[in-house]
Amino acid sequence: MTIRSGALDRRTLLRGAIATAAMASMAAACGSPSSDDGNGGPKGEKSSKNPFGVAKNSKVEAAIFNGGYKTDYVDYVNKVIGSQVKGVKVDVKPVVDIGPELQPRFVGGNPPDLIDNSGEDQIGFLKILDQLEELDDVFEANNYEGKKIADTVYPGVKEPGTYNGKFVGLNYVMTVYGVWYSKTLFDENGWTAPKTWDEALDLGRKAKKKDKYLWVHGKEAATYYLTLLMNSAIKEGGDEVRISLEKLEKDSWSQKPIQDVLKIMETMVKEKMFVPGGSGTQFQKAQAHWSNAQKALLYPTGGWIENEMIRATKKNFQMTGIPEMVLSDSPKMPYESVRAAAGEPFIVPKKGKNAAGGKEVLRAMLSEQTAKNFSKTRKAPTIVKGTVPSDGYGSTALVSQTKMLEAAGKNIFNYLFITAYGMNPDLLVPWNSFLSGDLDAKGLTSAMQKISDKIREDDSVKKLEVK
Amino acid sequence: MSETTTNPKAASRRREPAARGGRPRRRKLTFDRVSFFIAFLGVPLAVFVTFVLYPFAQAIFWAMTDWAGYSQDYNFVGLENFTELFQDEIFLKALRNVALLAAVVPFVTLSLALGVAVAITLGGPSKGPVRGIGAASFYRIISFFPYVVPAIIVGLIWAQMFDPNAGLLNGILTKLGLDFEEFSWLGKKSTAMPSVMFVFIWGLVGFYAVLFIAAIKGVPAELYEAARIDGAGRFRMTLSVTLPTIRDTVQTAYIYLGIAALDAFVFVQALLPQGGPDNSTLTISQDLYITAFTKGKFGYATAMGVVLAVVTLVFAALVFAVNRLTGGGEEKKQKAPARGALPAGAEGGAQ
Repeated sequence: MTIRSGALDRRTLLRGAIATAAMASMAAACGSPSSDDGNGGPKGEKSSKNPFGVAKNSKVEAAIFNGGYKTDYVDYVNKVIGSQVKGVKVDVKPVVDIGPELQPRFVGGNPPDLIDNSGEDQIGFLKILDQLEELDDVFEANNYEGKKIADTVYPGVKEPGTYNGKFVGLNYVMTVYGVWYSKTLFDENGWTAPKTWDEALDLGRKAKKKDKYLWVHGKEAATYYLTLLMNSAIKEGGDEVRISLEKLEKDSWSQKPIQDVLKIMETMVKEKMFVPGGSGTQFQKAQAHWSNAQKALLYPTGGWIENEMIRATKKNFQMTGIPEMVLSDSPKMPYESVRAAAGEPFIVPKKGKNAAGGKEVLRAMLSEQTAKNFSKTRKAPTIVKGTVPSDGYGSTALVSQTKMLEAAGKNIFNYLFITAYGMNPDLLVPWNSFLSGDLDAKGLTSAMQKISDKIREDDSVKKLEVK
Repeated sequence: MSETTTNPKAASRRREPAARGGRPRRRKLTFDRVSFFIAFLGVPLAVFVTFVLYPFAQAIFWAMTDWAGYSQDYNFVGLENFTELFQDEIFLKALRNVALLAAVVPFVTLSLALGVAVAITLGGPSKGPVRGIGAASFYRIISFFPYVVPAIIVGLIWAQMFDPNAGLLNGILTKLGLDFEEFSWLGKKSTAMPSVMFVFIWGLVGFYAVLFIAAIKGVPAELYEAARIDGAGRFRMTLSVTLPTIRDTVQTAYIYLGIAALDAFVFVQALLPQGGPDNSTLTISQDLYITAFTKGKFGYATAMGVVLAVVTLVFAALVFAVNRLTGGGEEKKQKAPARGALPAGAEGGAQ
């Protein structure tokens, strides 16, 4: 799922500005492509300090998604990269609408050397798979401290960037999904964070007595509850639930664990446990009902939430994350299992002028110093292990993410289909209706199934290989 | 309009010496004439062909491919995209939504704008010269205000106003004793589209009011004075004098506004970027944007663009047809003296 940026308004604004451009998306086709396969540019000699053969004094053009994490963490690379290859410079260009802005450059055959393909308008990986460098050699190389990079990162981080067997997206930030609450508020009221859906329902009723709601949702982020639903159902029913969903199978949304969770969610909607009006509220404003006004108790989201709401969080909130609720005492995967995935996928296009340089920047980002700088300044863990101290730089959210990862051990799962097929905009519609009470669980199920069916039956859409 | 030169009847009325022999005589191609044509016809035509017609033709071609947008590979699929479009529930919904926008927004906006314009120019006391209500220029400025703010800002500000829990609108309504607490204007199917339309109209009324004020000022004051002597009230004057004399301006405004309503991208994107409850405010331009950039189906998205272009043309044709059927249009105008030909003194009659 997308890492939501802290700057939606500006994004929307920019969007408006390119409204005309979108209308004439045909005009984008105008730049008739020249079809030279000119890859490379000047090359340098390969050495242990320069495993990809970057030319000295060359420039690397990096288009970085300007979202919740901003872009200066990539600028930081300039501080260290010179120690390996002399004079190499990264030229960071912050981009909000990655897809629309870079699309003409892909068609024109002159993409940037490095792209952080993230955000709401990220480019679908299956569309550009053939045009991307495989990044296995980055993991095989040594980092700036002389250790093999593959040994310094969390297990399984290649997977979310591996499409149809090709490792093309290096996901830099470790993202843990869960349910988030204020430890302070819970302690004050003597509440405990729910581990099962029944406990959650119970908590919701208790909250009502205090004029509070259990959940809150915003119109652009209603599908966070879809994530909650899927994660819960996958834990309850095991990996087969996930596989069926990812394969877009017929009746995949009617699987029992999904329906069971959905039924409880429906009850919660009926008992008005969601802050009313969410489907008409901008999502960050809605989130502030939870983090600042404390009208809502819980919020299902990913680890970026602390950074996103940093200026709209009540003092001494003690933001804490826990794994999603399960249904029964004996789920197929233990309660501690979490959906965790490396996010912020960096890609290196083959046709970039300095593709080797793009890889070198990634190597620099995976060095200990740069990774530490990221987790310290962004309060989020990178895929590099051991860069978060036990006090989490004072962030309870960062500490709980690390804890959740440790407790989960090997029980970590992830799915790609929603991002890969760009299903989120379509799914948002029925979810907004469902959470505002206009659509029941049955209607939601058939709406979601329709979306899956349509993609499955569309031959022009390349399909994801599901493992 | 260009018809005047091709219509022989019209040409015969021209007061130029060229018309003496019935037909305009063919002139020699002097350097003056050739350079004139190149500068004033050739260059704009070249720009038009390169940047309008050619991309347009290209778009029609891309609409018949399955181009995914990020490479140079595509297959020609003929009209498949179009047949698929008309079975695509979401697209058909978007089509209905923009049809609704095009039906409501221009009509309401222009009615309101006309009302404001008439009040400002003609709504004053019925004695003495025809003039507007007191403090007319103040109201004119006020009504123009929203137009000064860029549309995207208007959208974002109203998105905040409509906020169910913290929005100004619900705050005021609740203070007035109405039960609108937590009412989700943009989150309910029944109110989402009207809310979008309201913002749209609010943002544009001022501009069209000013446009109509300018047009009404071009109407000779004698007409109003004569109508007044005949005993016409303000309402009658508006319908029987003002509207017929400025009908060309109304037609142009109607078409322009219709095109804006069919697009509507900026407003809906600011208010309901995800298409609104049950897609009730999804527009073709939004659907196109998502289809192209999120789903990576550029060929299909281009087909949407082509359909939108056709819908726009149909809309313009409808407005022309209605105008003509109700007695307006080019034909009639040629019988009456063109407004521009009036002596300068007759203009600006209304204050």
